[in-house]
Amino acid sequence: MDEFLASLVRGLGTGSVYALLAVGFVIIYKAMRVISFAQPALMVTGAVLVSYLVADLSFWIAVPVAVLAVAALAMVVERLALRPMIGKPVFVISIITLGVDIVIRVVVNGFIGRDVRQVGDPWGLATLDLGGVAVQERYLAMLVVTGVVMLALFAFFRYSRTGLAMRAASFDQETAMSQGISVGSVFAVSWVIAGGLSALAGVFVGTGGGVDQQTWIIALKALPAVILGGLDSVGGAVVGGLVVGVVESLVGTYQADYAPWLGQNFAVVSPYVVMLLVLLVRPYGLFGTREVERV
Amino acid sequence: MALPASARQRRLSGRPDFYTSYTQDMALFNTAPKRRAVGVLAVGALLLPFLLTDDLLQLLATAFVAAIGAIGLNLVTGYAGQVSLGHAFFIAIGAYTAAALSGDPDDRTIGFGITFLPIWLLAAGLAAAAAGLLVAPLAVRLRGLYLAVVTLSLVFLGEHLFKEWSELTGGPGVGRPAAVPQMFGVRFDEDGEIFTGPQKLYLLMLVLLGIFAVLARNLARSGVGRAFAAVRDRDVAAAVIGVSLPRYKALAFAISSFYAGCAGALLYTVTGFFDPGSFNLLLSVQFIAMVLIGGVATISGSILGALFITLLPRLTRELPDLVPFVSAQSSGTITVFQIETTLYGLLIIVFLIVEPRGLYGIWVRVRNYWKSWPFSY
Amino acid sequence: MMSPRCAGAVLAVAALVLAGCRGGDEDEASTGSGGVKTDVGVTSEPCPEAVDQSKGCIYLGTISDLTEGPFAGLAVPITAAQKAFWKKVNADGGIGDYEVDVTKYVRDNKYNPEIHNQVYQEIKGDILALAQTLGSPTTAAIIKDLVRNTIVAAPASWTSGWAFEDVIVESGANYCIESMNAIDYAVEEFRPKSVMAVHYPGDYGDDAAAGAKIGAEANGLQFRAVETQSGQQNQGGAIDTIVSAKPDLVILTTGPADAAVIVGQAAARGFKGRYIGTSPTWNPALLKSPAAAAFKAQYLLTGPWATFTSDTPGHQAMRAALGNVTGNDGYTSGWAWSYPLKAALQKAVDNKDLTRKGLLNAVKSLTSVDYQGMLPSGAGNYSGSAKDTVVRQNVISKPDEASPTGVSMLKDFFVGKTAQGYAFEKPCFL
Repeated sequence: MDEFLASLVRGLGTGSVYALLAVGFVIIYKAMRVISFAQPALMVTGAVLVSYLVADLSFWIAVPVAVLAVAALAMVVERLALRPMIGKPVFVISIITLGVDIVIRVVVNGFIGRDVRQVGDPWGLATLDLGGVAVQERYLAMLVVTGVVMLALFAFFRYSRTGLAMRAASFDQETAMSQGISVGSVFAVSWVIAGGLSALAGVFVGTGGGVDQQTWIIALKALPAVILGGLDSVGGAVVGGLVVGVVESLVGTYQADYAPWLGQNFAVVSPYVVMLLVLLVRPYGLFGTREVERV
Repeated sequence: MALPASARQRRLSGRPDFYTSYTQDMALFNTAPKRRAVGVLAVGALLLPFLLTDDLLQLLATAFVAAIGAIGLNLVTGYAGQVSLGHAFFIAIGAYTAAALSGDPDDRTIGFGITFLPIWLLAAGLAAAAAGLLVAPLAVRLRGLYLAVVTLSLVFLGEHLFKEWSELTGGPGVGRPAAVPQMFGVRFDEDGEIFTGPQKLYLLMLVLLGIFAVLARNLARSGVGRAFAAVRDRDVAAAVIGVSLPRYKALAFAISSFYAGCAGALLYTVTGFFDPGSFNLLLSVQFIAMVLIGGVATISGSILGALFITLLPRLTRELPDLVPFVSAQSSGTITVFQIETTLYGLLIIVFLIVEPRGLYGIWVRVRNYWKSWPFSY
Repeated sequence: MMSPRCAGAVLAVAALVLAGCRGGDEDEASTGSGGVKTDVGVTSEPCPEAVDQSKGCIYLGTISDLTEGPFAGLAVPITAAQKAFWKKVNADGGIGDYEVDVTKYVRDNKYNPEIHNQVYQEIKGDILALAQTLGSPTTAAIIKDLVRNTIVAAPASWTSGWAFEDVIVESGANYCIESMNAIDYAVEEFRPKSVMAVHYPGDYGDDAAAGAKIGAEANGLQFRAVETQSGQQNQGGAIDTIVSAKPDLVILTTGPADAAVIVGQAAARGFKGRYIGTSPTWNPALLKSPAAAAFKAQYLLTGPWATFTSDTPGHQAMRAALGNVTGNDGYTSGWAWSYPLKAALQKAVDNKDLTRKGLLNAVKSLTSVDYQGMLPSGAGNYSGSAKDTVVRQNVISKPDEASPTGVSMLKDFFVGKTAQGYAFEKPCFL
């Protein structure tokens, strides 16, 4: 039972990182109807920036600075690479974000170099004892921070003017424009938020092991989370992220004993299997809206 | 009123678009300039083995095989509109089927020793096509970006499968020898008396590319091709007028996977060794780049795109001689590998923003300019 | 439009002009200066960075993990040490009438056998031999081609299979022996009852795991092997197995970044057993990772030769040639691996046969190599059978922050009884 709980907490911790990334994907999708493949690059940029800044600043200052810097980078990307493509097919824009991801990652890899860079977090590998279950502090930190960020986002979308504008634009762009909402700035704000969330996720991914040239691939696990939850549902993204994290962790703990024929490290691909199973039943994800196709 | 027999297949000189019969219009090389241009290209391509060094020939052979894969992807994504990021998965199936069939039975990995090229090539294509048929029902249920992500998940599942199945693949970081190209006693990857290995491989891949390209072009201009276009443009309307969506989507995936399987089987015969870690998202993205940069929904565009993307690393490796601060070693401020990758990403972005019809679109622009020269506008 | 005849004429002229572009075929066999026979990879023109412009040049290739793979932290010092070694050889007069170049044909393999094979195909037409081919599975991918083309290679790897390949000039105890010695040492020091081998797949990790199994069985210990792939996110399975099975000793054969993840995460989840890692698993940067405390408490490492700061003539020559560098045992290995090639080249020149076959014959005739004290005497015998000539000694080190390389030696060259008694009829990993 202890093992189950420990695995569950681990899963919720990593799941909250996936949730941060997934929410970024979904916010961009809701604004532009595009899946941005640039999130892995933004995530790694955030982690690497923090790893450089902690040499001079405290961790608690370096993180917000890095988040803001990556958010600014995301806005620049949106202006340069995506603004000229408004109106073009959605798939083509997604591939452009793929190109952006490749370019940014090459530059950032130059700063990572050969070794693993540490983000200098205060938790390290310290463990807490919660009622007999050994839980790593960093997982609790991830959960808490994600919860706070989600609450802030919720309040933003619900109560602020910009949030309302974004919800309106994602619902119907033309009507929003006719109401005087600048859809261009909605796009920019959505990328800024997604960039900031990815950077934060990157910092958490870097705790415990550090970040190296292969870390970017972790961000792709947010894709099953997004699809699971539904491409246009922020709440779905959070649920999807947590589910993916928990599934991965539980499969990792128990698969070697119960189903060794699935191979080593099946846990790494288990989110995709879960996604496929969910899609067979609900093709638009758990909370996504069904597309209405007009002929 | 039927045209007199003499006028039926007549061509007017100086009026290349004047067709007097439907078959003329639909013909593969319907204008004389097209026929001449293809003829010159074919002769030029056949002469190249005697003019270029072996390593360039190896590169071109790889580019031709990549073109076969790109044509396959273009059929499903460009012509039929079904976004597929899972091309690497089908390439892997083809590569391992071929390698297993023609591999050495005494080696560490599975091998049956059937080295006769047409057999393992067809088997590779059919195995991949069968996998494509399995994926097709997903395409019917899902659309657009959902389909893209699901095909992406195929790549990851396939990666896991091939990494675990080390009797077939050797395991990650170990790898296995590739398929053995042999036909009627002639080994194509080893030097012979008249031709060197790379020369033979180049000619083999050129011939195979020609066959596959003509087949694909014929498919595109047939009824099946028109059905694909209908599915791409407005699939609900296509279903209304009687184009069976499940059937044509399945056909698109099956044919594209067949091409991918054949390409996978041939891709590694040039170097002779491959690792299961190669069939990842990066490979899928490379083929997407070939299709998009070359030109969506055109066969010649796929070939152009494949040549471009495959030759790009070689071109950037010549840079250190021209530009002083780029270093050819792996250390130094800016290395040639970084430039190569950055260029690759930038080209994807720039092409899609500036010329969405790709290299083929650029070619069309150039051709149109010269058609009405000196009165171009 | 041009008439067909005109077009044909233009094409013919173009073809003739371009025909000049096709390069020549492989170098014909020829005789160089001083009556030495040469074929591929040896020129009578001086090397690009020659000390003595009157000497010819021997080109050696290097294929190493210089950018992205798990061993880049070791491979870059290895390559630098080899550059320094051959530079010193050239400064001391070269080899006969030739100097040696290891800078022109350097390629990155990213520790991937497919890329390794690809870049090897690119350079194989221009080199006499390979001064470095890094990685056991990666070199295994090209071994058939090396044998077919008679290209001698000094591998940056220690798998036991090399003792059975004539073209490979390996140095130092192989992983199989290393694991046997590690277990024998552990049994002497802290009496474990169970051993788990956590390893990469292929000729590197599987060889060490095979040796660990032999050592465990010889000492009557429980044994289990766990394979893991390279990549930080792929270590979950190995960590879960270590934490649930709780072995007393883990023989770790991975890369440094993955070792940090495994040791750190397992310690965080309460694992208190000991680790003994093979030499490529260590990197001084590990003492700066979050797992540093776990490494200091639980980790030991085996090695084929004494660490960077030791004082044999070879080590001193190496430090003098390298100048002021941060200590790293990659340098030690790169330096040590070059001695047999130097001896073979010298012998080939003395035999006046610097063709590829001549070099191979020279290798096969070597009964000992002067390692300047870095390996025990008797090492470097390539003329006998594997079981008589394989080196069976290892050193043990422990992590130590005070040392510039992050480790300090615990035990100098020793042979455990399992390794001493093991008859090497075939490679440990087939």
